[in-house]
Amino acid sequence: MYKLHLILKYLRKRRIAWVSLAAVMLCTTMVLVVISVMGGWLRMFTASFQGLSGEVIVSARYPSGFPYYQEMAERIEQLPGVGPGGVVPVIRTFGLINIGNLKGDGVQVIGYPIDRIGAVNAFPQSLWRQHKRYLEALDKGELTETERYALGLKQREGERWPSFVPPLETEEKATPLTDAERRRLQELAEQGLANPSYALPYPDLVYETAARFASPRAPDAYVKSAPRWAGMIAGIGVIEIHRDERGRLIGRSDDLYQLPVKLTVMAIDPGGVTVDLRNKSERPYWIVDDSHTGVWQYDANTVYVPFEILQQDLNMAGVPDATDEAGNPAPVPPRTSELHIRVADGHDMNAVRDQVRSIVLEVYRQHGMSERTAPNVQTWRDTQAVFLNAIEKEKLLVTILFCIISLVAVFLIFCIFYMIVVEKTRDIGIIKAVGATREGVASIFLGYGLAIGLVGAGLGLLLAWLIVSNINELHAWLGRVFHLQIWDPQVYAFDTIPSTMDPVEVAWIMAVAVVSSVLGSLIPALRAASLEPIEALRYE
Amino acid sequence: MSQTTEQSASRAPTASKVILQAQGLAKHFVMGESVIHVLKGVDLAVREGEFVAIEGRSGSGKSTLLHIMGALDDADSGTLMFDGRDLLGASGRERSRIRNTEFGFVFQFYHLLPELNVTENVLISAMVQHGWLAYMRQRAQLRQRAKDILAELGLGHRLRHRPQQLSGGERQRVAIARALMNQPKVLFADEPTGNLDSETGRQIMDVLETLHREHKQTIIMVTHDRALAREADRVLVLNNGRLEKAQ
Ligand SMILES: Nc1ncnc2c1ncn2[C@@H]1O[C@H](COP(=O)(O)OP(=O)(O)OP(=O)(O)O)[C@@H](O)[C@H]1O
Ligand SMILES: [Mg+2]
Repeated sequence: MYKLHLILKYLRKRRIAWVSLAAVMLCTTMVLVVISVMGGWLRMFTASFQGLSGEVIVSARYPSGFPYYQEMAERIEQLPGVGPGGVVPVIRTFGLINIGNLKGDGVQVIGYPIDRIGAVNAFPQSLWRQHKRYLEALDKGELTETERYALGLKQREGERWPSFVPPLETEEKATPLTDAERRRLQELAEQGLANPSYALPYPDLVYETAARFASPRAPDAYVKSAPRWAGMIAGIGVIEIHRDERGRLIGRSDDLYQLPVKLTVMAIDPGGVTVDLRNKSERPYWIVDDSHTGVWQYDANTVYVPFEILQQDLNMAGVPDATDEAGNPAPVPPRTSELHIRVADGHDMNAVRDQVRSIVLEVYRQHGMSERTAPNVQTWRDTQAVFLNAIEKEKLLVTILFCIISLVAVFLIFCIFYMIVVEKTRDIGIIKAVGATREGVASIFLGYGLAIGLVGAGLGLLLAWLIVSNINELHAWLGRVFHLQIWDPQVYAFDTIPSTMDPVEVAWIMAVAVVSSVLGSLIPALRAASLEPIEALRYE
Repeated sequence: MSQTTEQSASRAPTASKVILQAQGLAKHFVMGESVIHVLKGVDLAVREGEFVAIEGRSGSGKSTLLHIMGALDDADSGTLMFDGRDLLGASGRERSRIRNTEFGFVFQFYHLLPELNVTENVLISAMVQHGWLAYMRQRAQLRQRAKDILAELGLGHRLRHRPQQLSGGERQRVAIARALMNQPKVLFADEPTGNLDSETGRQIMDVLETLHREHKQTIIMVTHDRALAREADRVLVLNNGRLEKAQ
């Protein structure tokens, strides 16, 4: 009983103990924050890159792509680890973009068959107009009238030109969502996810007007064709949607969907790697949506266009009725630059990769092509190995750092406890004189260490949780006040700092903190236990 | 020699049994090169309910003897029997238990725990005795007992004070209360008045006197104040490492 009593008393009355408490707390906090951000980064990286590609990727060795992909896809879909719909071709190239004569830029152009892409990656989830804005509204829980019109929850009589983008800041009063509205929003969000499309969002008139406005001297035929131009989805960075200091994404406006975009891509001759400048293809598009994957490299400079159109423009569509010089039929097969393959749950990614590789090689052999020109087959982990390994190493480094910090905590507690034991020598003598045993006295100090470890680690967790869950706001605040940008999206690939904690990691760190505290108090406790009561009482 | 001292215990209740018996206790200390033989064969028998005073000049080894008899220290040789048990041969745990439940100590420098208030200081020996659960179960009674003892010693109004807020005499009374908390068979007092003025020392002596007279408390007190020693049933002098009857 006296042990508990004295531990509590000492905890309350000895201010010096608070130093060790603070030390344990700060060490725990520091390690938790660092590990959480790094671990969160790794998880985010995994989730995002998995969200952007299939688990297994067949990618061409040449910019001109590889042929017979449909045949490969058919056979890969028959693998038990893949299944129907689990293979989607993707074309990747580079192009020049001109947005309404306002901005020109070199961009990465990705051709997605958008109706199928959702089967292999999470691209549809990144679309704002078709998906995310409904979730945002649900999240907000209340909407103004304008917002209700914009989201299609309400229709104005005879409206031809609706707005998608209500102003960020308005005087209008928001009212809570009704249950019906919630259901409707949920429905719309799911629809967008299930059927993402490149379809133009506005009634036709808008496009003709906009096309005329953008190029006043354009021929009538060009303007009349405007409503039939293809749709393009742009990464948010391409159309300069960015975060304001409050962390909101701003820069979307209705104008965005009324800007004709000209995309120029260059076809590459299948025989080699030379670019034929005459083979350039220029095509007008309308922006129909924007994509925010969270991966900076994609969001900053990628546009997504329909697969078939890009295939056409790159001369990759093939020529089914071509003939050779002798007049015999020699069809040119269509090509793609990548096949993205989803691996079904419960199947090993690496095993599927090996199966896919043998299919690819077999198809190449059957068509009498050299295996050396066959496309690469890799898992997404293989493709990001450099990145992933670097992070794993960094995590190891942090773990070592954590060990050192734990040692520091142990040492600190040791010093402080030793001080307390020396200072309390007489009291220890008294307690022993009234009958406390060695073990009893030792357990006072061990219990004291345990208490400090538990309380310190607990407070550390609390503080770490506060920091980690507000890390983006904190970062924004640092940026505002000190003009400091620690988190550079160019380097870290994400525009937000990860802010999740892994329960297992947290449990480990807490346990180590508590054990360190007890360990630090061990030698002082043993010393206190071995004090002879007489020696201690003489100590004046 | 022990025979002579026992025969001289004129005022001692002759009917009661010997509770603490020391024979041939010896103790030396090594200080660097020199060896000090502090005790050279001390014989002493204390009867239940007896008040024994041990006198001697400073450095004669009074405290050392008291500590050995109180199971706070070891002797080099000799025997020490307490209530039929061999104290010198007992395990550390057993000695701790005896110190806790059978012995009470009062020191010259009070030795109270500064973090605890008066009541808690008195309760500490009860806390050491009982486990957490047992203590909690009897908490009310134990508290009441502590309060009663303190009240009896005239400290009823000081229960929540800290030792630093008390005078020397009050502190010593708290120390006595702590020593009495577990109803010890033997109360050891090492110069309990040594740090107090004569008036306050007198009051402390009265307390011990009363305990002895009214509660039949066995007391072994060390002092170098001859006048105070006279209060005891029996006065012994520690001289040259041996106990002698006082003149
Ligand atoms: N731990 C020790 N190491 C060395 N010498 C010691 C130790 N304890 C006591 N002594 C010596 O033993 C002798 C007796 O000490 P003790 O404290 O018993 O005397 P005392 O009679 O109580 O004196 P006082 O009246 O001053 O309290 C002294 O000379 C002291 O220096
Ligand atoms: Mg002494």
